[in-house]
Amino acid sequence: MAEEKNQNYEILSESYEQEMLAKKKAAKKGVRGETPAKLTMNSLMDILTILLVFLLKSYSTDAVNVTPSSDLDIPKGKTMLTPEQTVVITVSKSAILVDNNMALGVKDGKVDGAQKRPPEDGYFIIPLNKMLVDAIEKQRRIAAVNPSAGKSLGIATIIMDADTPFRLLTEVMYTASQAEFSKFKFLVIADATEGQG
Amino acid sequence: MAKKRRPTEEVDTDLNLTPAMNLILILIPLLLTAMEQMKLAVINVATPQIGPASEVPPPDQAPDEKPLKLTIALTDRGMHLYARDQVIENKDDPLGPTIPKKDGEEIIDGKPVPGKVYDYDKLTQMLADIKDENPVEENIIINAESHIKYRYIIQVMDASREKKDGDKKRSLFPNVVLAAGVA
Repeated sequence: MAEEKNQNYEILSESYEQEMLAKKKAAKKGVRGETPAKLTMNSLMDILTILLVFLLKSYSTDAVNVTPSSDLDIPKGKTMLTPEQTVVITVSKSAILVDNNMALGVKDGKVDGAQKRPPEDGYFIIPLNKMLVDAIEKQRRIAAVNPSAGKSLGIATIIMDADTPFRLLTEVMYTASQAEFSKFKFLVIADATEGQG
Repeated sequence: MAKKRRPTEEVDTDLNLTPAMNLILILIPLLLTAMEQMKLAVINVATPQIGPASEVPPPDQAPDEKPLKLTIALTDRGMHLYARDQVIENKDDPLGPTIPKKDGEEIIDGKPVPGKVYDYDKLTQMLADIKDENPVEENIIINAESHIKYRYIIQVMDASREKKDGDKKRSLFPNVVLAAGVA
């Protein structure tokens, strides 16, 4: 038995030597060996995994997402209160949107007088009110099945261009209050240098 | 008879990382583009409550004392302050605004232009003095002329919320109520 084993080892070692010799020869001739070259990817994987975890952690989970544009210059503020999941009213230089759905257009910081009630001088913006009533109805339906969603009922986040005149702001707030919104949150870009709680 | 065994083949124990690498390389640019580039925050604002005036004064208020009803009205000339329905007069200019505009840089179309700006530091100082006299009061009413820009409203809210005393921050009037414009 022991002899048999020894024989096997000899055969193995012989074949190994032959193989290595063949490889060396091939290398000398410049012929590629059979085994493909392998990259050490461990360190790269480490970096990428750390980067991935970091990015996933810092991934924006804000309740409000704003795409910056020249049409919407959000003012800076010193508050650090975090936005919540509410109905969002966006007033840009060219339009008023409710939850990213267009309500009506804005021109030179004013809405078309015919869209208001009473016309021209009124504070009540008819198309905006209609959309806000729909939005609060939707919120109510959600709150009926999910009570935790009910705490944002009647709260609206207002994203407004910094150059919007005060008149349009009051019109939007008046219209929203007519649709039973009583609390408002003005969205600002947090000024990191002056932050407070 | 000796059996001829085939030499055992070397097993490749390396993990095949290619699919994982593919996934990570797709996820990283996706997350990088979706990463928040600016921190957003909110200011809580209320509208005036419509309803019968409360006949019972707050417990810390003397029965004969009027409610403070601290109001800031923004106009082109500056800021007018009202307390207990009375104008807080500017001693230097009794007919002018309580806090007139000062020389500074105004932002027009995103660029700073020399001009007159609101004096927020003076506002904060005045409000701090009012807070000393009325330590429990937290409400402030803000209104403005119809063409006053939204950015100034936000800045007035910031100036009236708190005062920095060195490293300490002192809360002034954090509860903002926005009223309709100045006629």
